[in-house]
Amino acid sequence: MSKNETQASDQSQTFLRWFRVIVVVSLIAWLANSVITNATNPDSEKPFKLGLDLAGGSHLVYVADTSGVEASEVSELMNVLRDVIERRVNIFGVSEPIVQVEHSSFVTENPTERLVVELPGVTDVSEAVAEIGRTPLLEFKLFSQEMAAQQEALSSLGSLTESSSSSGAIIGDIKINGEEVNVDNEELPFTDTGLTGRYLKSASLEFAGSNSGRLSNEPLVTVTFSPEGSDLFAEITKAHVGEQLGIFLDGEMLSAPVINEPITGGTAVISGNFELEEARSLAKNLSFGALPLPIELQSTQTVGASLGAEVLNHGIKAGVFGFSLVMIFMILWYRLPGLVAGVALLSYITIMLALFQFVPVTLTAAGLAGFILSLGMAVDANVLVFERMKEEYRSGAGSRDSAHVGFSRAWSAIRDGNITSLLSAIILFWFGTSMVKGFALVFGMGIIISMFSALVITRTFLIALPEVKQSSNSLIAKLLGSGLSFNKTKKN
Amino acid sequence: MFAITYKKIFLIIAGFVMTTSVLLIAVLGLNLGIDFTGGSLTEVAYNNAPAKEEVEAKISEQDLGGFSVRESEDDAGRPAYLIRTIDLTDSERDTLAKNITELGEGGEVTRFTSIGPVIGQELRDKAGWAIFGVVSIIVLYVAFAFAGIGTPVSSWTYGGITILVLIHDVLVPTAMMSVLGYFLGLEVDVLFVMALLAVLGYSVNDTIVVFDRVRENLKQNRTEHRKKHTEAGMVREEVTYTLTKPYEEIVGSAVQETLARSINTSVTTMVTLLALYILGGSVTQTFALVLFAGVLAGTYSSICIASPLVVTYAAWKANKN
Repeated sequence: MSKNETQASDQSQTFLRWFRVIVVVSLIAWLANSVITNATNPDSEKPFKLGLDLAGGSHLVYVADTSGVEASEVSELMNVLRDVIERRVNIFGVSEPIVQVEHSSFVTENPTERLVVELPGVTDVSEAVAEIGRTPLLEFKLFSQEMAAQQEALSSLGSLTESSSSSGAIIGDIKINGEEVNVDNEELPFTDTGLTGRYLKSASLEFAGSNSGRLSNEPLVTVTFSPEGSDLFAEITKAHVGEQLGIFLDGEMLSAPVINEPITGGTAVISGNFELEEARSLAKNLSFGALPLPIELQSTQTVGASLGAEVLNHGIKAGVFGFSLVMIFMILWYRLPGLVAGVALLSYITIMLALFQFVPVTLTAAGLAGFILSLGMAVDANVLVFERMKEEYRSGAGSRDSAHVGFSRAWSAIRDGNITSLLSAIILFWFGTSMVKGFALVFGMGIIISMFSALVITRTFLIALPEVKQSSNSLIAKLLGSGLSFNKTKKN
Repeated sequence: MFAITYKKIFLIIAGFVMTTSVLLIAVLGLNLGIDFTGGSLTEVAYNNAPAKEEVEAKISEQDLGGFSVRESEDDAGRPAYLIRTIDLTDSERDTLAKNITELGEGGEVTRFTSIGPVIGQELRDKAGWAIFGVVSIIVLYVAFAFAGIGTPVSSWTYGGITILVLIHDVLVPTAMMSVLGYFLGLEVDVLFVMALLAVLGYSVNDTIVVFDRVRENLKQNRTEHRKKHTEAGMVREEVTYTLTKPYEEIVGSAVQETLARSINTSVTTMVTLLALYILGGSVTQTFALVLFAGVLAGTYSSICIASPLVVTYAAWKANKN
């Protein structure tokens, strides 16, 4: 090989090394940019998800009494229970509530089924509890001509006042026949019949036959009343043929079929151009108008919104300060490699934050503390490599060879140490309650990402540094050797 | 290497520390928080806090059974009280909140937690199982990863010593919590268990790094003997090793070579914990403190307990044979 060729291949090697550095730096910069955009843009689809202890809100745990039902039915009933509670919570107007079923762990002696309700932003827990504990109401109401007429009159009166007076106020109380009638413009014109979900035996999903005069295969909901309910239903339908019977759940109108003929058989069919899913959920809602299982409030946790924000602020401050301290220490001790470790640690933080956003991981005070702790522990793999590298470098090897040897020698320690930590994280995740699970997830992710940052990012940078020997007097050679070593005292 | 030369002193110190810790925990007990016992914890903050006696008197009026009031500070830095009571019903909670917020200007319930006794019991079970699970998996993994290390002690010895070291590292922060609980009323909660588990993770990692170096040095300082013998028609090869240096010296240099790493990693971990303790929220202050004690204990044990112990055990075993 001629001298020129050697030089050319050296140059392309150097180019390749720096090219890798540029790729890594650009990727991390891009990721950091997307994390910041997601975190600061209020309309972002992937913002950080803050747990209730950071965002403020209430966390309620209910225990369901499953003693009266077959074991095989429990999980289905719990799902129905969740749907019912979810609907009530939604009516409550909370943004992004979480309602989920939780089973007690298999290690406990008294297995229980629980329902966890998280209400971000709700700090008045009494109100929330009352809303959730309320018995839902399934009601059958008759369309009232009189009320409809009143409302029509009111709205025309409203539009009249609006057009004639400058105030534009809608009058809510009007006098009809000298009697004061309070008419709410919002309320639908239906009157109570006394028939409620109490009288319902079951509801099921069916499909219309081809000769029923309806579209064939149209999903329908069939309701069956209890004997008492059948009588009441027959009475109502007899008296009001041709009128509309509205079916209401928790005050919301589900459908309002017209009574075609008196129904005495104790069943009724509700049709209403349902989608299949819609009909199925209606049947379910009607079947379980009342809660399928009795529930009891087991635990509550409420954190004020301003307090949560303070905790978050404190956490961020601690994180920034902790990171700076680690970085200063690493640079003082390891000089140039220390700076590289600092860059790797920044990459670690960026990747972790990106994962928090994309997975997403709900951040809690405990998770945040775990993350801050991991900043100190994440440099461990770097420290292991640098110490091995230093031994080689001191014994006269070139800096790049030392780096290679450092990585390969430190690998077994990094591997064994991290695998045991990862196994602990998995066990924690397995056994933990939701709070512990969050911590275990952050802990486990931190182990994997810190290994990646040391083995890929630190390595890329270290190998891109120019090749020097300790004996050479260049600045880089001095920057690569750290000042202190316990090995100096070694007797050989 | 000092840790091996003065191994007796270090092991005596470790024995003393462990005995003291066990005694402290046994005598003072742990102040279990509502996470484990069930009950309610109310944090009430004021702009101008009333006297503690005043708050106590007001709560007594309500007849809630036993309760305790602890002075505290909320995360905005306002003076606050932490009131621990039995598991409260809705109406009891509302009455309590109304009564105590009236006592001082700007009174506000900033945090309320209530945990039923069943969940408390389950958490206690879970914590125990989680620690047991982590410890067993660690001993199994160490025994597996160090299999074939052979002479002069088996890989199970390293696994067993790792566990002994873990017990030391968990006892120290637990004893600290016991003392703090007795004198300052700090309570053991789920976060404490998490801190302990993180200490377990840190400590085992620290010990494994030293043992990994022992493993490497053993491989470099031994000669291999292969002996073939036929047994029932099967050729079996037996491999034995002779160390070219005393075992003590090999372990000693492993500790020496990993010393800088052990100290540096504990320094970086402890500075972040310090930042968390000083600047972090009040919720995680105890967490940071427990971990700090655990990391300190873990660093001491990986240098001054694990290796001296393995050397002592090897000597004892050699003597016995």
